[in-house]
Amino acid sequence: MSRDTLVSFDGVVKRFGSFVAVQKLDFEIRKGEFLAIMGSSGCGKTTTLRMLAGLEAPTEGVIKLSGKPINDLPTWSRDTPMVWQSLALFPFLNVRENVEFALKMRGVGKAERRRRAEQWLDRMQIAEFAERNISQLSGGQRQRVALARSLVVEPEILLLDEPLSALDAALKVRMQSVLKNLQRETGITFVYVTHSQSEAFSMADRVVIMSRGVIEQIGTPQEIYRTPGTRFVAEFLGSSNIFQGRLVPGDGGGAALDTPLGRFETGADATARLGTTATMTVLDTKTHLAAARPAHARNVLPVRMIGEEFVGATATIYLEAAGGQEIRVQKGHDELSDIPLEIGRELFVYWEPGDAHVISEA
Amino acid sequence: MRRSISLYSLTFSLPLLIWQVLFFVFPLLFLIALSFWTVRNFVMSPDFDPVNWTTMYGRAVFWQAYGTTLALAAAAAALTSILAFPAAYAIAFKLSDTARRWAIFLMVIPFFTSYLVRVYSWQIFLSDNGIINVILGWLGLGPFTMLNTVGATMVGYLTLGFPLVVLLQLFSLIFIDRTLIEAAHNLRCGRLRTVFEVVIPSARTGLVIAALFSFILSFGDFVSPVYLGGGEPTTLSILITDTTKSGQQWPRAAVVALTMIGTLMIVAFGAIKFAYRGKST
Repeated sequence: MSRDTLVSFDGVVKRFGSFVAVQKLDFEIRKGEFLAIMGSSGCGKTTTLRMLAGLEAPTEGVIKLSGKPINDLPTWSRDTPMVWQSLALFPFLNVRENVEFALKMRGVGKAERRRRAEQWLDRMQIAEFAERNISQLSGGQRQRVALARSLVVEPEILLLDEPLSALDAALKVRMQSVLKNLQRETGITFVYVTHSQSEAFSMADRVVIMSRGVIEQIGTPQEIYRTPGTRFVAEFLGSSNIFQGRLVPGDGGGAALDTPLGRFETGADATARLGTTATMTVLDTKTHLAAARPAHARNVLPVRMIGEEFVGATATIYLEAAGGQEIRVQKGHDELSDIPLEIGRELFVYWEPGDAHVISEA
Repeated sequence: MRRSISLYSLTFSLPLLIWQVLFFVFPLLFLIALSFWTVRNFVMSPDFDPVNWTTMYGRAVFWQAYGTTLALAAAAAALTSILAFPAAYAIAFKLSDTARRWAIFLMVIPFFTSYLVRVYSWQIFLSDNGIINVILGWLGLGPFTMLNTVGATMVGYLTLGFPLVVLLQLFSLIFIDRTLIEAAHNLRCGRLRTVFEVVIPSARTGLVIAALFSFILSFGDFVSPVYLGGGEPTTLSILITDTTKSGQQWPRAAVVALTMIGTLMIVAFGAIKFAYRGKST
């Protein structure tokens, strides 16, 4: 455990009856970081957050906050405020009373309470709504009230459980920057649970990817994007072409992967794993498309075009290799201008060996 | 869209309309008319004389009964609400779904038997030689006079209102958003404090309506003050029967009845207004 560790999970397991929600969590949350826990529903991400908040007790293992075990501490005795998906604002209190709630519970005097609430109402730009009922606010305004209510006690850590999922797309993007700026300015550790890759990757310093109660990978968004740690992560992110095969000695410096589609050179140094089965990923943005077989390229795969999709300036071309494997290529329109894009057309994809990543799992 | 009364909707609302007119509006109007009739030599005659109103409102015994009834009904509403809340809370939050269904069933059972029968059975418990005094006697205590006291009347009011109040409170507690309770805990609000800070404010509408029902039932009740309270102190319901019995004074009884209806309307209106305060419709 290093000095800048705020929270640590040590062999934490959570079972509900015979259902295992979380199995063997071992990870640390660093002081002042924005950590996103990401996964599809039922992966154990919310249970992990609720254990940290003290709303669920771990079945096994130890959770430490600032070095002290907090397993047996009820939620009202820890400083782990949470922002709920439903926001859980008190409908019988007005905006100001909602924000003052946590201070009142701590026995802060009336004048001081008001002063501190005022600060956060200003900061969240909701001061003009202070006397309004919650039902009179818009979705974005409620979001700000929920944040102010949790942050008014200036905690070390803030837990957020998919707080943006109810907002429309434009507001979501706006609130993402509000959250990110807030985290940067206050230095409060944010733990943000989401199923949305774009939310996690745009805000977080580090991302934890969970599946079926297990952590698949922890890393910065770039690390996870460029070098997915497991096949699951690569498939979950959906931004790479995935090949499976046997590692063999390559022509260049790295190993090559022997697949049913051919032999592909990789930049990976995998001497220790030669002869074993491995998974290789190539980002769809690093996979290039050509009308004729490129003479100089070392990894070439003949494909047939099956579809295309345009989002803004980017085009995604769907292709099919022999054996029905789907290959995706993502490019700007100008990069594709001299390629005849017709459904059913025979084309070639190629990539640099250095852009092929061999997943480290066995 | 044009808002008009179609023949179709009229056909279906007609029975209710006729029922209301026949058994509510008409008797009420008759009661109002009756309160202005006069009685001479035990014979009522239609009239328009405010003498009944001035006579009844001029009597100290009327205002005494009015104050007593109001106080007893308010006390019953408060006591029933306070005693029922822990029961409703436990059923709503501490029981499994199956156990909760059983508890609701048990709360409905009292309605199977007549209220009068239940009040009579209390006499067997509360009388001087009743079950409670016999048991206390074995312990060398008592006997205590329990029957024909205000306390016994209150027991009767509880018998009348308790199951209904528990059910009404329960149904407002069940629908509280549980994440609000978690959120309060998460913001350092302890368990007991959460009941007062979050649970009661969230369930306010239901709790007020439940108390209102207890008030209404007790305010007009005749059985408990007579059979358990022994007719002392006089409540408005007792005053009505006394008035009709003494010299066929139905018009004066009508004055008491109309005063009761008016009072209940004011209380009900005030309570509902309070219950829904700050809520958008």
